[in-house]
Formats: sequence, structure tokens, C-alpha cells
Amino acid sequence: MVEMIDLYKDYKVGKVLFPALRGITLKIEDGEFTAIAGPSGSGKTTLLNIIGCLDIPTKGDVLIDGTSMTTLSTKQKAEFRKNELGFVFQTFNLIPVLTAYENVEMPLILVNMPAEEKKERVISILEEVGLSEFINRKSNEMSGGQQQRVAIARALVKEPSMVLADEPTANLDSMNAKEILSLMKELNKKKKTTFVFSTHDPLVMEFAERIIYLRDGKIASDKKK
Amino acid sequence: MKILNLAWRNVFRHRRRTLITAAAISVGLAVMIYMDTMMNGLDNLAAGNIIDFETGHLEIFAKGYYREEGLFPLDTIIENPEFILQRIAKIKTIKGVTPRIKFQCRVNNGIDELPVLGIGIDIEKEPKVFETANTVVKGEYLKNPDDILIGKDLAKDMDLDVGSFLTIITRDRYGTYEAYDFTVSGLINTGHPLLDRNAVLMHINIAQRLLSMYGITELCIKTRDDNKLMQLKNEIAGKIGKDFEVYTYKELNAGIFDLSEMKRSGQFMLALVVVIIAAIGIINTMLMAVMERIPEIGMLKAMGFGNYNIVKMFIYEGGIIGIFGSLFGCFLGLLASLHLVYYGLDLSHMLENIDIIYPVKFIITGEINYMTVLSVFIFGVVVSVIVTLWPVRKATKLQPVEALRHV
Repeated sequence: MVEMIDLYKDYKVGKVLFPALRGITLKIEDGEFTAIAGPSGSGKTTLLNIIGCLDIPTKGDVLIDGTSMTTLSTKQKAEFRKNELGFVFQTFNLIPVLTAYENVEMPLILVNMPAEEKKERVISILEEVGLSEFINRKSNEMSGGQQQRVAIARALVKEPSMVLADEPTANLDSMNAKEILSLMKELNKKKKTTFVFSTHDPLVMEFAERIIYLRDGKIASDKKK
Repeated sequence: MKILNLAWRNVFRHRRRTLITAAAISVGLAVMIYMDTMMNGLDNLAAGNIIDFETGHLEIFAKGYYREEGLFPLDTIIENPEFILQRIAKIKTIKGVTPRIKFQCRVNNGIDELPVLGIGIDIEKEPKVFETANTVVKGEYLKNPDDILIGKDLAKDMDLDVGSFLTIITRDRYGTYEAYDFTVSGLINTGHPLLDRNAVLMHINIAQRLLSMYGITELCIKTRDDNKLMQLKNEIAGKIGKDFEVYTYKELNAGIFDLSEMKRSGQFMLALVVVIIAAIGIINTMLMAVMERIPEIGMLKAMGFGNYNIVKMFIYEGGIIGIFGSLFGCFLGLLASLHLVYYGLDLSHMLENIDIIYPVKFIITGEINYMTVLSVFIFGVVVSVIVTLWPVRKATKLQPVEALRHV
């Protein structure tokens, strides 16, 4: 369970202070399929980054399963991300010199696991995202939808407890977006993985079970379907 | 897949860039190896010329003579060489011993006069120590009492040839001027500038008569095992007593061997500059690699890669470039060195009239020191890895969120 307590985040651009989050208090239960929605600049990505220990709040705290994230060292945060989190980015961020298989295998570099098991996991997750025929393709030889599938497979391969997806459908056409979302929903149901999205895509909101609207760094509404 | 594997792929993202960076290292290291080969060859050639024509492996002087060598004092000579010869006769490692008399004189062809070094030699014993007899390129070795051998270059300078007459003018042991007429019996071409341009060789007894003395100035010794030279030196010194001094050829030519060290460090510095330029190339390449992959670094960090793994990846990349560059550099250096070893560098035209201080002429051949090649290889790789650390510092300082946002 993720608990956010009175989160504030200010960005300093030159001499001007931009408040990105202004007092967010929120709980996300395990296994949720939640979308954080809102217009540009409302603080969606910032919130996601703070949950993912990629950024630190100016004030407030994030508790994940009772552990305060603000007290962790850089190394502990990296360790936490390695063990518990998967990320999906708007721009996919695949490594262009690697094949789909190798990109998905990346997070497992850091995990102590027999090579055979790694191979099985990568192949099985690539099958689940429907890319079993593309395992040897490099990212520049794949469509945007296929690339995002690789990114999802990469986020899921180490079976994290939570996947954070920052506008995962922003660079996809509606067909591909729908497929990707169905896929994530399916994985959420099957593996009980918590999914948190930041988005302003209505399609994502359609799929989400809970929609948290942000406006000007505050929660405007929090609806569960 | 391992981090090394990823680094390998990354290195070949921009093949041309990697190739150029590696090539810069290669050139630097190849220059280092080639220069070392040349210096080794030059040293060997110099040592060979000194041993074969000038001093032998060891020289024995009367006590106090060497301090004034260069002045060729005739009052501190070995009066009774037989005494020494008897004392050292049983040392088995001695291959040959020959007496010599060295003195300052002037050679006059009737028109011009040049200062040269007069060397009186014992034609019977000389070939056991020196190679002079084998270098007569025209005419013949000393035979008649008034025969004299001169270097090819001196002959050219003085317009002399086999059969020409010349006069040697010197002061004897008591300071009185003496002159003696000689006939050039042969021309020698040793490759040692001293012998070829600045010396004349005559019968030792003629030299003695010219200088009004009975002894000799030095005994030159050739050994069978030049690795144990210091041991032999001490053994001889122990047997002949304190009235005499023994020196190795290295001690006698300390100036030249010091010069060699100086040249070596000078050339090493030059090669180092080339390597530094190459290192700047690596820094540049790695800096570009870091800059263009900032979002990727952010993604790796988000995935749980700590700074340790990121640094490891870039160090591998620098190391791979270094290994390639160094391997190719060593290959290139060896190839050029092999040419120097088998064909040599012909400097005879260039150095004909120039004194390079070094006692060598003609074709300089090289000698490869494989330990140098190995050290140069290791040096190249280590430098490549070390200079990578600086650009990588930037990658470690990045917050994952900043990196991901970077466009």
C-alpha cells in the first residue's frame, strides 16, 4: 500500500518558485488500477516520480508498506526500485542497440537468478505482451505500439509489486493504446500488480478503476468506479 | 546479458566515432613502441661499436690515467704490461687481451693538417679483441713498419688514398715534437665515427718510438660472457693490485649511455603528448556518450541501476575502446618496429657529415623489447579507463528524474 501524507513539491526555475504539488494526501491499495489525471502542469508526473522514488518531495512523506521513502539513501532507493517497481515511460526509453529480448532482460541483470530462469521469464512475458515473434528485433525495427509493449514487458519481467506508467498511451494511436491498456488490465488482474498511471487520455480513464483528478497540484476529485 | 555485453553494444553504437578515438590511442602507442625499438637498437649499435672498435668490454689503465683520459697523459702509463698479462692469464672468461697506445697527434698530408687520435695496435693480438682487421675496405691491414690505417671518412676529408704518404706530428713523453712519415696501407670503414673520421692506427712499436716510451696506455679485454662484466672486473682488479684500474665499457662511456637515457625520456615525453591528445579524444567521446544517453541513464536508474553499475558500464566502454586502440597500436608499433629490425633505417646520407655524438653510423637497426610492448599496452588501457572516470562523474551526479526529463 502506498500512502502519501501532505506532499508538497516546489520547482525552482531561475529565481521563480513553481509549486507542482500543494498538499496531496492519498492512499493507493495493493492491486489497484489507478489513473492520475489532470491537465498539463497539474503535477501528475511529479506525483508519479515521487511515488517511484525518482524525486523527493519538498515537504511531506510517502510510505510504501509502512516504510518512509524520504528517509532512504540513494542506494536504498535504487534497491527499492530494483525490487519493487516497474516503470513505463511515455517515450518508451528502450535501449536502441538492444533487441526486444535484451531490453526486457535488462532489469534482470541486477537480479541474482539462474540464466535459464531469466530466459524463461523473458520469453514468457514477451509472449504475454504478444511479441513472441519480435524478440530479436531492435527498437528501431518496431512500431510505437510494439515498443511500448516491450517497455511494459520490461517493467513487468521482475514481477514488481507496482508499475508506474507515465502517460503510456501518449505516443500511441487509439488502436494501439486500447490494446496496451487491455494488456495492462489483464496483467493487473492476473498478477495482482498495482498499476498507477499519469494521463490525460480519456481512454486510460475509461479503463481505470479509480481516477484521481489533480488541478494546480491539489486533488480535485478522487472517484472509484 | 551482462553489463559488459551492454557496454560492448554501446561502444559500437557509433562505429566511426569509436574507430577514430581508438585510432588516436593506437597512433600514440605505436609511436612509443617504435621509438623504444629505435632507442634499443641505437644503444645496442653504440655499445657494439664501442666494444668492437674502441675499448673492448674492459680496459685496464695505470692508476690515475683515466681521470685524465681525454688528455691522454703519457706519464701515467702501464710500464710493464707483461706483469698484468701474467696475473690475468688464468681467468677463463677472458677471450682476448690486447695492448693499445692512444695519443693525441696531427695528421698532415702536405697541404692540410687535422688533429686526430693516434692508436698504436699489436697486430697479432688486436683481432682477439677488436674487429678492426675485418673492416679494411680498401688496401690491406698493417704490414710494414711505416704502414698506417686510416678511416674512410678521414681519407676523404684529407684527400688520401691507399699508398698516399702522410706525416704524423705529435709530442713525445717528454714534450718534444716528433714527426714520422707513414704510407696509407688501407682504409677502414667500421661504422664508429671515431675510428672512421678521427683516428689513425699504426704498429704499437712505432707508436712507442714516436712517443719515446716503452709501456702502453691501456690493455683492452674481451670477455666470453658480457653478462658477468662486473664480476670479471672485480676479479681482474683483485689480481692486478692497486697500481692499476679496471673500467667497463659502460663506465668509460657513461656520457653516451646517460645521453641515451635522456633521449629516451625526451622521446617518451613526446609520445606521452600524443597519448594525452588521444586521452582527450576518449574524454570527448565518453562525454558525448554520457550526454546523448542521459534519458537512458535516467531509465537505468529508474530500473534500479545504482551509480556503481552505471560507472561500471561506462568504464567497460572506455576500457573496450582502450583495449582496441592499444591492441591495434601495439600491432602497428610492432609492424613498424619489425621493419626497423629487419631493414633498418638508413641514415648514412643524412649523418655523413653530422656528429650526433652517438658512436653509430649507417643503418640504424632496432631491437624490440617485448616488455615495453606489454607495458605500453597496459598503459593504453589504464589511461583509457582512468580518463573515462571524469565524464562518467556527470552521469553519477544526475538525479533520475532530471535525467529522464532531459531532452
